[in-house]
Amino acid sequence: MNDHEIFINLIKNNISEMLETIDSLYISCNSCTKNMLLNRLRRSVTNLSMLVQGFESSQHLSDANDPQQNPTRVFTLAELRKYNGRNGNPAYVAVNGTVYDVTNNAAWAAATHFGLTSGRDLTGEFASCHSGQSALSRLKAVGTIAE
Amino acid sequence: MSDINNNCKNIKIRLETASVLVNNAIEAINQNKIKKGNLIWLELTGCSGNIISLLDGSDPSFKKLATKMVNFIYDNSLMAAEGELAMDKLFGAIGSDFILAVEGAISTKDNGLYNVIGRWRGQPVTALDAIKALGEKASYVIAVGTCASSGGMSAARPNPAACVPVHSLLNRKVIRLPGCPCHPDWFLGTLGYILQFGEPALDGDNRPLMFYSTLIHNICPRRPFFNQGIFASQLGEETCMFRLGCRGPVTRVDCPIRQWNNHVNWPIGNNTPCIGCAMFGFPDKMEPFVSYDITR
Repeated sequence: MNDHEIFINLIKNNISEMLETIDSLYISCNSCTKNMLLNRLRRSVTNLSMLVQGFESSQHLSDANDPQQNPTRVFTLAELRKYNGRNGNPAYVAVNGTVYDVTNNAAWAAATHFGLTSGRDLTGEFASCHSGQSALSRLKAVGTIAE
Repeated sequence: MSDINNNCKNIKIRLETASVLVNNAIEAINQNKIKKGNLIWLELTGCSGNIISLLDGSDPSFKKLATKMVNFIYDNSLMAAEGELAMDKLFGAIGSDFILAVEGAISTKDNGLYNVIGRWRGQPVTALDAIKALGEKASYVIAVGTCASSGGMSAARPNPAACVPVHSLLNRKVIRLPGCPCHPDWFLGTLGYILQFGEPALDGDNRPLMFYSTLIHNICPRRPFFNQGIFASQLGEETCMFRLGCRGPVTRVDCPIRQWNNHVNWPIGNNTPCIGCAMFGFPDKMEPFVSYDITR
């Protein structure tokens, strides 16, 4: 079985588990059980998201082939600092050389996130909190950081 | 509660969770199916806001807790005994089966000398001494409020007394009920569950799923405004306060449903953003609480 088939199988299993959880949610009238099922569903969604990412990598869908992940604008760190979400400016952050727009991301209220401000390269901070998660795939890429 | 919410079965059931658990526990105690619990409540390095919040509980109420549900052995604000007699009661519980509720962080600088909670046998007893003596001996430890759960206000920068949360000093599981203060329902419902069934289902951070499973943002009555990109540009506008700094999207608890002061209202319902008081990292990592210098 090649990587491609392994991912397809895992994704199918995950979807069938999610459907079972949804069925259980329909028949559960206890809020505690519902909360546990919702928690399980959230875990499944996270797994699914990671599996899809892995699948894409296995298909060699590199960043360069994806138009959204292939932004053309190049930012210097000094330019990036202007996009701090203040004075009407949008809020951008850089991770691993890519610049992302977090202006309307719910977790970035007032262009800040758990004590971090936008307009900065947050590669280290991202790695310390969201390593292995799929958070970046939900953000709109708007450029890259100048070498 | 608004009329709209009254029609939602999920909201109705959630609102009853704590009172059902407490009433069932009391019934089981009356029928001798389970024993009354012994409860010790330590007020350590904090503002004592959690015990005040507990007194504000209505259904279930503090009276039910103290008279029908537990033997309330120790709380320095509420007990009749004082001085050495009170400390005798506190340390006399060691060896018996008791549940330990802790509010406030623990000051650790200079051996905890910045928070002395009493004197026993002629010696000062620090918060650090108390948590070390009682924390490992309790059948359950519940960290009540944000300071006990994650350091909170007491451990905020520059944290001069080197305050730390309860779990960081104990080599055991600590059930964490963050919130500044903790809602009476969250504590009483958790206690009612423990008395009947033992440890409730917890998330990865040891918060009971029955109260802490949902992001405020996901059940916020102003969520439709967020989805449509209609944002308040100043306090008082009854739309989504995301751009002003609302922390509902990162705070996991059921305030929008449960509400406060006998289920009357809650911050967003009163036109102020959620400041993330029930989220780890509060207050430092939840700042700015309100910002007018915002994106367009």
